[in-house]
Amino acid sequence: MTASMRIASVRLLSKTRHYFSSEVAVQPGARTVHHQPASTRFVFTSVRCNVCLIPVAFLHKGRAYGTQSSSVTVTEEPDLLFQKLSVLVKSHDKAVLDSYEFFATLAAKELGLTLAKVFEPPKNIERLTLLKSVHIFKKHRVQYEMRTHYRCIEISRITGSTSRVYLEYIQRNLPEGVAMEVTKTAIEKVPDHIQMPLWSVQSQEKQGSQ
Amino acid sequence: LIFVSFQTVCRQLNSTLWLNVGGRSIHSSAVCCKNRAARIRVGKGDRPVTYEQALHPHQIAHRKGWLSQHTSNLQGEDGAADRTVEDLFIRRLIYGTFHGCLADELVIKRRGNLLVICALMLQKLPPHKYYFLVGYTEELLSHFYKCPVKMEIQMLEEKSVYKYL
Repeated sequence: MTASMRIASVRLLSKTRHYFSSEVAVQPGARTVHHQPASTRFVFTSVRCNVCLIPVAFLHKGRAYGTQSSSVTVTEEPDLLFQKLSVLVKSHDKAVLDSYEFFATLAAKELGLTLAKVFEPPKNIERLTLLKSVHIFKKHRVQYEMRTHYRCIEISRITGSTSRVYLEYIQRNLPEGVAMEVTKTAIEKVPDHIQMPLWSVQSQEKQGSQ
Repeated sequence: LIFVSFQTVCRQLNSTLWLNVGGRSIHSSAVCCKNRAARIRVGKGDRPVTYEQALHPHQIAHRKGWLSQHTSNLQGEDGAADRTVEDLFIRRLIYGTFHGCLADELVIKRRGNLLVICALMLQKLPPHKYYFLVGYTEELLSHFYKCPVKMEIQMLEEKSVYKYL
């Protein structure tokens, strides 16, 4: 159940997403991925690609091309801006991480995101030394180890809506046995009350009173 | 605390053996150099053995893969004990439900909330019974573990033999 790596165009991107939301089984008691198009907002001008969110109810109706006119809302509130989006994936298997890195970098390039750094932090080995026998024989032990390999993909200068789309795509196609940690560094406007330094305001007031 | 690993103990024993080549002495030690976990010992050569059984556990991540794939054994993740207990329960349940039909060990994968059980089966029962048993296990396990459970089975005519030990 791995996504096709041949993402030729953005249309195919939305098509693969369409398949994925149908394959993940949804059961009443289950925790599902939050995916409700009515609540997501897009500032359409900042996003280069036409990514359509398909409501779950309409998945089995017609072809993917027919769903171009889906609910994409444009709102007045400004989109969040992220200076850096850091995706750290960890796994026991290095080969799985290699292939996932290829997939994630390809997806980022197709979406037009700037990949700041793609690197491999050093692996972590946790070793346990246990007694080999159930009873006595203290000198004879057995050693186990658990290796965790890491891969980090850093994307710079990304908007909130693009990051949500990219992360949803990446996370839907996460292989089994791979964990992901996402760190976002947001950019905010400097608050008005600290635009001017306090001492200059006070000196202005003193000059004004004199 | 000094941990003495079995490798250093073996080396010490071997070195003492070499030192006593000239003289004769009785030496007795507990059987320390042998590991017996998840291994089938070499025998007469008439016992068919699958790839999974033939390779020893130190070959995992080298020539073998993992039978149970989840994230709880990674650094900074928790829930390892719960996943292990679930895996054991699932393996026993399926071994009993499809008694005599399993060709090899189960592969259990966890993708988010979804639990996928991959099994290789032999053609011992008629197909409609397989369909019923697969649906029954999926339904039972999904109600028990409160998560979607899928079984992916592949049929084989007979057990795939890697070598004879």
